[in-house]
Amino acid sequence: MRGGRHRGLALVTWVYIVWSIVPVLLAIRFAFNEGRSRSASQGWSLRWFTEDPNLSVLNDPTLRSALEQSLTLAAAAMLIATPLGVALALGLQRWRGRGEGTANRLTLLPLVTPELVFAVGLFLLFTTAFSFIGLGTTAQIIGHVTFSVSFVVVIVRGRLQTIGADVEEAAADLGAPPWDVLRRVVLPLLTPAIVASLLIVFALSIDDFVVSQYLASGADTTTVPMRIYAQARAAPTPALNALASLMLAVSLLALGLAYMTLRLMTRGERRTGSESALGQLATLETGGTSR
Amino acid sequence: MSGSGTVRLEGLTKRYGETAVVDGIDLEIPSGEFFTVLGPSGCGKTTTLRMIAGFEHPDEGAVLLDGADVTRTPAHKRNVNTVFQSYALFPHRTVEENIAFGLRYKRCGRDETRRRVGAAMELVRLGELGARKPSQLSGGQQQRVALARALVLEPPVLLLDEPLGALDARLRVDLQVELKRIQEQLEVTFVYVTHDQDEALTMSDRVAVMRAGRIEQCGTPRDLYEAPATAFVANFLGAANLIPVASRAHDGGAALSLGRFELRSETATPPDGDAVAMIRPEYVRLEPQGGSGENRLPGMVEEVVYLGFHQTVSIRLATGALVRADVPNDGDAPEYEQGDAVTVHLRAQNLRVLATDGAPAPDPEPAPTPTP
Repeated sequence: MRGGRHRGLALVTWVYIVWSIVPVLLAIRFAFNEGRSRSASQGWSLRWFTEDPNLSVLNDPTLRSALEQSLTLAAAAMLIATPLGVALALGLQRWRGRGEGTANRLTLLPLVTPELVFAVGLFLLFTTAFSFIGLGTTAQIIGHVTFSVSFVVVIVRGRLQTIGADVEEAAADLGAPPWDVLRRVVLPLLTPAIVASLLIVFALSIDDFVVSQYLASGADTTTVPMRIYAQARAAPTPALNALASLMLAVSLLALGLAYMTLRLMTRGERRTGSESALGQLATLETGGTSR
Repeated sequence: MSGSGTVRLEGLTKRYGETAVVDGIDLEIPSGEFFTVLGPSGCGKTTTLRMIAGFEHPDEGAVLLDGADVTRTPAHKRNVNTVFQSYALFPHRTVEENIAFGLRYKRCGRDETRRRVGAAMELVRLGELGARKPSQLSGGQQQRVALARALVLEPPVLLLDEPLGALDARLRVDLQVELKRIQEQLEVTFVYVTHDQDEALTMSDRVAVMRAGRIEQCGTPRDLYEAPATAFVANFLGAANLIPVASRAHDGGAALSLGRFELRSETATPPDGDAVAMIRPEYVRLEPQGGSGENRLPGMVEEVVYLGFHQTVSIRLATGALVRADVPNDGDAPEYEQGDAVTVHLRAQNLRVLATDGAPAPDPEPAPTPTP
């Protein structure tokens, strides 16, 4: 009886896993297609990655520049949003008094603002008040940083709460000046949250369509999601699948790296601590990329 | 280290909004004293300690360490160290690194650091645990690391905020003895905050009982227990019978009227008018029914709880008051039963008269056990 119920649960789980993974696997399968079709098996090759002289990701300048643009934006957003978010989280954590609550709520606003509203707002900003910046890569980076900072704040504040104020007080009590408290105690303890933040921002940025689209200024600011969207309605080839597969690989690599780093870094720490950091990362990752 | 380590608080006040959580505290703690601040949760004892440490800034008053005003000195420049209730160990550092953390700011070379860390670990009996991370230690071991980390800096004053609060009862007793040993060995001034009366009585040279931001009474454990100044102190330290009476000075002591009965107390300067008569349950003598003489009242046994080493007998006096007597089990103590008529003897030298001070209604039950 018990075994039967367990088999039922296992079946549901497997159906779910297959349901969610098969489309991805199929898309990857056709990236390696020999022929032009994106729906019929036509042998195996790397044609759409590198070999085709005109249409492969490597040789089609539009696809290659889209990949480059996406990675540039993601790297820049990650390197700018993470330090900003960490600083903001530290500041908000210490802020006591007038305006504290308002600031807290405002920080979280981008998490619930519809992305379209957000993008239109930024578009207006860069075409009017900040027209000296104008549309293009800089605007796209600023846009990505703006909405990712909130995620960093949430992750880092969660960790700060776990760490507690007393270790900071203990460090000061033992004679450490404020800068040393940050450098020798707070930042080392924040490392898992910082790594998670870098990864989340990277994933958010590389996944983003709406903000990138609104703040783009032309062909050379087209990102991978924009390219895939545009080309899918024109003349799609398996090169699109190849491009998407590359994105997937990059994201998985980032995840894997983050996981390994966390494992190594929190090895000596309480088990629950490292697991909760990883769990936090996983929830935010799934929540983040489904935006 | 002797000669330094005096703490002086002058009119120390801290407000959160309208309420003063610490309300004008004056204290003088001499060098090398084990001083305990005892009180229920929310009485302001931890805030007081945090102001000495420098984590909170007083709204009024001053903190003086060895005569120097440090009220505006930030925590990292104060020559005091703290043992936190939560231990607050650095989880990413080993035990040795935790203990060595503060030595960097004392400009210790590598050899001296190693020597002092070793000595501190020996002092708190940490053995060979130096390479472990805090998460690999038991609660008691973590407590020892926290203690070693503070003591390695040889502070003239050590502040301890309910350091045993998170440990189980058995371990607490062991560590109480050990804390006292360390304090006496190093002659460091300890300022110890707790809500646990046993800890306060066991270790302290002097105890200040705090209530609602003020010091209710300050003295040696024996003073506080045997001559509490207020009903609150009487109730908080040990169990107390508190009986409302009318009091007047009489013949170097006090004459008390309790309904139609008259009692005598040897309290030298009794309050006049409405007052509270206080007697510890272990001082209450039970005599056979019909006994007569000074300070003897008839009553009836309401409840008996047998506790092995003594029995706790609750007696309803003829006046309506409930009195608890702890009758020691000395081998031939009578067995009391509910409904027994007895005579209660409240001896004059054990009966104290306290002013009514707005304390909670006199409560013949054992003192409430406050939670942290």
